Amino acid sequence: MSIKDNIQPLVELFDVRKCFGQTVALGGVNLSVARGEVVCVIGPSGCGKSTMLRTINWLEVPDSGKVVLDGQPIGIRIGQNGKVSPQASKDLNKTRSRMGMVFQQFNLWPHLSVLDNITRAQEIVLRIRKEDAKEIAYRLLKQVGLSDKTDALPDQLSGGQQQRVAIARALAMDPILMLMDEPTSALDPELVGDVLSVLQQLAEDGMTMIIVTHELGFAAKFADRILFMDRGLIVEDGPPQQLLQNPETDRLKFFLKQLGDMNLNIPGVM
Amino acid sequence: MDLDFQIILDWWPLILNGFKLTLVIVVGAILLGIPLGGLLAFGRQSRFKIISISATAFIELFRNTPFMIQVFLLFYVLPFYGIRIPANIVGIIGLALFGSVYYAEIIRAGIDAIPRGQLESARSIGMSHWQSMTNIVLPQTMRIILPPIGNQTLSLVKESSILSTITVQELTMSALIVQGQTFRPFEIFIVITLLYWGLNELIATGLRIYERRLERRSLSDPASA
Repeated sequence: MSIKDNIQPLVELFDVRKCFGQTVALGGVNLSVARGEVVCVIGPSGCGKSTMLRTINWLEVPDSGKVVLDGQPIGIRIGQNGKVSPQASKDLNKTRSRMGMVFQQFNLWPHLSVLDNITRAQEIVLRIRKEDAKEIAYRLLKQVGLSDKTDALPDQLSGGQQQRVAIARALAMDPILMLMDEPTSALDPELVGDVLSVLQQLAEDGMTMIIVTHELGFAAKFADRILFMDRGLIVEDGPPQQLLQNPETDRLKFFLKQLGDMNLNIPGVM
Repeated sequence: MDLDFQIILDWWPLILNGFKLTLVIVVGAILLGIPLGGLLAFGRQSRFKIISISATAFIELFRNTPFMIQVFLLFYVLPFYGIRIPANIVGIIGLALFGSVYYAEIIRAGIDAIPRGQLESARSIGMSHWQSMTNIVLPQTMRIILPPIGNQTLSLVKESSILSTITVQELTMSALIVQGQTFRPFEIFIVITLLYWGLNELIATGLRIYERRLERRSLSDPASA
């Protein structure tokens, strides 16, 4: 790693705005995430946290603003005269392949086996040989504790197992960034732990992650930073202790109180 | 009423030729109609207005007019513009066009039935739109659309009898000839009814076996879940 790599943020958002009809999902978001940072995003539903995550890999195209990954703008091309035009889809696909995305509903491909779910994009996007792709898949399945499920179909797995396969599928692309959209929200409570421990391992290995989550316990323990979003804006931004124990804004206080009322056993909070 | 099936034996070569032509026409209409239906389904969702409007208009026109009139237009009107196509070819093209709009609607509904997250997970991992469609969306669509595609194909077999009205000597036309020559409608129409039925039953059974194979390969076994 050169000095430049250490200084330059991995992800930057500049005044990103997005509306759905009359609804403002993002009202001008600015963000900078450093390499190796684990950032958890919290906030009430409809606050724009998922939308923000999805603009980073251009699944959601912002109305205005700029997203930069590793120094390169995403989704747009800036010509020599400064004119902005959409990025060639080939380049956008390449950029996307460097970011792993994990969805609330897993979105595994049900017609493919666990192994094929993990090897398919390696083969057709990265053009990795089938044998090598399989090797990578076996290693990752071992890492997420599912070595015995290579030939299973996604429907035969529990939610927690499916989500771990989805994480392995994303990791197989050797991403420089992981984007996670409520990775544990669709899981039965007893299955959340397995997924969180995989995330924990990733965090300890130094993976840069942006995680939209309701798991304040996980956020408190493993996030370097928590963002609190409300009404399309980042309202508070800071280390977990500061944010969760000394919230500055009434909105965050209210949000934490609500969560506290729902679930009294949030470790590390209050 | 006495049935005399001797006439069937006497006229068998003609009936058999008619049956073969029906087969050729239907197979041709399927081979042309399904790809055309796919094009129409994609065309309808094209972001280019001119393509989506043309595809929609085409589908609506063929879906909402009688097949017989479509065939008449192709067969009797085109020659006025100097386009002369043999009746058998008109038959294949007409049946393919008629079938394609239904195939298009089936394919579109099948694609729409795949949850949006499937395409999103494919795109987010770096697959192109085309790679996402061919690797992720369409294989899942296949399983959904196979039964309705089968039904539509059975109906094409039946509709093909309308081509007898434009001198295509398929199975129905052959029966009309036999009836005209022998003045015995009963035996011959019983026989071609059985032939149509047998053909469709054969297609339906083949599809059922194929469907079951697809299911066994792709659906989880409840006992092991």
